Amino acid sequence: MAWKRDDPPAHPEPQSPAAPPRPAAPAAPPAPAPAASPSSSHEAPRRTDRATIGPSIFIKGDLSGEEDLVIEGRVEGKVDLKQNNVTIGKNGKVKADVFGRVVTIEGEVTGNVFAREQAILRQAGAIFGNIQAPRVILEDGSRFKGSIDMEAPKETGAPNRDHRSEPSRVEPHRAEVVGVKAGA
Amino acid sequence: MSWFSSRGTGPRKEQQGRVQALAEPDVHRSLALAALFDEIRGRKVQVLDLGPAVGSNVEFLSQFGCKLYIEDLYAALSSRTSSGEGALAGPEFFTEFLAVPDDTRFDVIFAWDLFNYLHRKELAHFAAQLRRHCDRGARLFALMSILKTMPAQPFRFKIQDEQHLIYERRTATERPSPRYAPAEMTDIFKGFRVDRSFLLRHGIQEFLLVKE
Repeated sequence: MAWKRDDPPAHPEPQSPAAPPRPAAPAAPPAPAPAASPSSSHEAPRRTDRATIGPSIFIKGDLSGEEDLVIEGRVEGKVDLKQNNVTIGKNGKVKADVFGRVVTIEGEVTGNVFAREQAILRQAGAIFGNIQAPRVILEDGSRFKGSIDMEAPKETGAPNRDHRSEPSRVEPHRAEVVGVKAGA
Repeated sequence: MSWFSSRGTGPRKEQQGRVQALAEPDVHRSLALAALFDEIRGRKVQVLDLGPAVGSNVEFLSQFGCKLYIEDLYAALSSRTSSGEGALAGPEFFTEFLAVPDDTRFDVIFAWDLFNYLHRKELAHFAAQLRRHCDRGARLFALMSILKTMPAQPFRFKIQDEQHLIYERRTATERPSPRYAPAEMTDIFKGFRVDRSFLLRHGIQEFLLVKE
């Protein structure tokens, strides 16, 4: 069934170094998503699609879209897939704030991680930044330096005593990474 | 060579001491921990954990709805030592290590047994840094060795429940213990008072300090 998130991808992921980085948002989805109706705008459809940024790919800029994303390459900028799952693979190195539904880190992230449901730091993974998620799993042996706020992110942004997890205070940092052109 | 200079992960740097086989982790009752959790129950607190990231501790602390900062002090000190910097870490090291905004305030600090691995001067520098980030009532949990020797590396502590700690030993090698006395702790941690102190059978004295 097309809605089952854990289904394996129907097509092989583009891994060729020669291939251009595939944007997280598909330019032409293979089939119209059944849940693309306006009523489902808040909860994005669970697609089987999953984009992969291969190990040889380096992206500077912002990534956004509506499908799950696996990063095995390098990304500097911002990864914004709030409705979808983001996985930083073992080879992945990300210098960015990462937004996702479930964010799994097996590689290295220098930046803040915002997960709507869960953040998972695997044994081989490392985060140098803050985590904001209702549920956080840190596997033993993983490396982490930063703060963990296990309260669900507030849409309205209630005042927080600490700058590091306060979205408005993070803006200057965001501006730095957002300012770089994609594909540069 | 002072006990301090043996800090580091390399076996050559570790002093030869009484070697114990790495056994299964020990579980010990912690009276200070129980007192600490009684104090913070029902409050949204900001916690500083100076040990390595331990998943089960994160999961345990999540029930308190806290904001948790994890800053692995021993890893930072070891990295500094191995990079060939001076023997003692100065105040600038601790400022850089705990690089949080000035207005960040911690309600609870888990120092575990890490203070045993700091020279008295380092401990004083670090205490001053911690003091800046604590308001009145903030609590600091520390485990001080009272034995002549202690493991060459800090234990890895896992909170089993509100009254029990799992001690995971990371090395069989031993080194001399600084054996900080309670009066010395009070002197170093000016601005804090000893709220609870428990001498445990396995050679550890638990301290629960409170910021005045």
